[in-house]
Amino acid sequence: MRHAATSVFSELASEAFRDAMRRRIVPVIVVFALLSLLAVDSCTSCAGSSQIVRGGEQVSVHEISGWAGMLIFTVLSLWTMVLAGLLASDHLAETVFDGSANLILARPVRRSEFALARLAGALGIATGTGAVVLTVSTYLLHLRNGVSLGAAIWAGLACVAGALVVAALAMTLSLFLARIATAMSVLFFVGAITFVNVFTLFGASLGRLGNILQHFTPPLCTAVVVALQPWIAPVVPDVDPTIMALKLGFWVVASVLILLATFQKRELGS
Amino acid sequence: MFALELVGVTKCYGQRYALRDVDLSLATGSALGLLGPNGAGKTSALRMLLGFTKASAGTVRLQGLSPRDPASRIGVAYLPERLTLPGRMTVLSFLRHHAALAGLHGAELESDVEAVLEQTGLSARALNRLGSLSKGLIQRVGFAQAFLAKPKLLIFDEPTSGLDPIGVRDARDWILAARERGCSILMSSHLLSEVERTCDQVAIIDEGTLVARGGIDELVEEGETLEDAFVRLVRR
Repeated sequence: MRHAATSVFSELASEAFRDAMRRRIVPVIVVFALLSLLAVDSCTSCAGSSQIVRGGEQVSVHEISGWAGMLIFTVLSLWTMVLAGLLASDHLAETVFDGSANLILARPVRRSEFALARLAGALGIATGTGAVVLTVSTYLLHLRNGVSLGAAIWAGLACVAGALVVAALAMTLSLFLARIATAMSVLFFVGAITFVNVFTLFGASLGRLGNILQHFTPPLCTAVVVALQPWIAPVVPDVDPTIMALKLGFWVVASVLILLATFQKRELGS
Repeated sequence: MFALELVGVTKCYGQRYALRDVDLSLATGSALGLLGPNGAGKTSALRMLLGFTKASAGTVRLQGLSPRDPASRIGVAYLPERLTLPGRMTVLSFLRHHAALAGLHGAELESDVEAVLEQTGLSARALNRLGSLSKGLIQRVGFAQAFLAKPKLLIFDEPTSGLDPIGVRDARDWILAARERGCSILMSSHLLSEVERTCDQVAIIDEGTLVARGGIDELVEEGETLEDAFVRLVRR
């Protein structure tokens, strides 16, 4: 009898994680994360002491801190999503193209288990780094600027879901494109969605193409901003949080299913 | 009972036929050498048997099941022609990983890994990174992973590729030892002398078509070597 599917998956996923950890990009990620934290430390120390005048009235420190906090959290969340996409852009494809996947798939292993394990490995590094950076940033924002922690938890979940969507789609694309083309596609995809999400959130119209992108692409940036809405109250983006969560949930399921279906149909070389 | 079976199998890549209506089977406990010139379709047949690619027509069965069913690959070991191993892993961690995927764990896993390291002469290299090994040593690691968990069926594609003469002889001994244990073997090779020494049956494929199949004694005519018979059959 085939041994338990969970033990096969955990063996594959832990090896995929170790494989991701052994990559040369990991020290770069660590340095980038530390630099991000230094930047956050610097921003959070000055946001509370800023003074902005709007329509002759001074804007409250609380409001400035909320906007600064939302900007920091959103940028770091998008960075985590891009990182997940970049790491996923060759984590499965490399094993397929060099043939090393064949030795694994000649064992009693399902293709879906292998693909999900590789996805989990890439995602583990990205979300692990993101979790550290976002947790420390949120703690600094809470301590220095008094933002609520509850909103950050929802935004963190939105970030993980977004990272999963980007990683799964990048992994699917990597089965057809060269690594550099996949990486460029990740940057373009996240960039374009962020641009459309930000402008639409605050009432700007981007025409027909903008509307199509806003409705039919994963709400990567919108979901994070909507979760952080309490930080920027009384400004309320015109988006229903439940609809947003359902839309993101749909994309999580759809992107993983697209990856699995594509890999299942893929002919593997010798 | 067949360890593996191809029934009326055709495989097309666009307009090109890699295999054309091939019937092939391997009885449990037998050893079949798959011979043919380069591009004859041998590797395509092996890839279909392992579920890496689908037949365009016909039926493929591995241990009585569809190759897409993971249960069909229980007790199966594979050694590909072009062996690429993760260079950042050590020999030991690579073998442990494969032993776990083959269903071993705990003390059984450790003792099996130790046994194959000893068998393939890799004990002193256990902590070396795979990326630092020569082609011949990489091939030995390939054999080591194939012998983990005492497989019932070995599928080898040019297994002696990259081995020096001592390595070739060692590989032959390992394959013969596996046969003695009752292991079924399907081996694609250009080294006809190795096939002659390790297999009791041969199948010859040329341009995707099975041109001959049977015991070596049946195919080789009087005064011929297996090489002569091979050349005669593929030029027919």
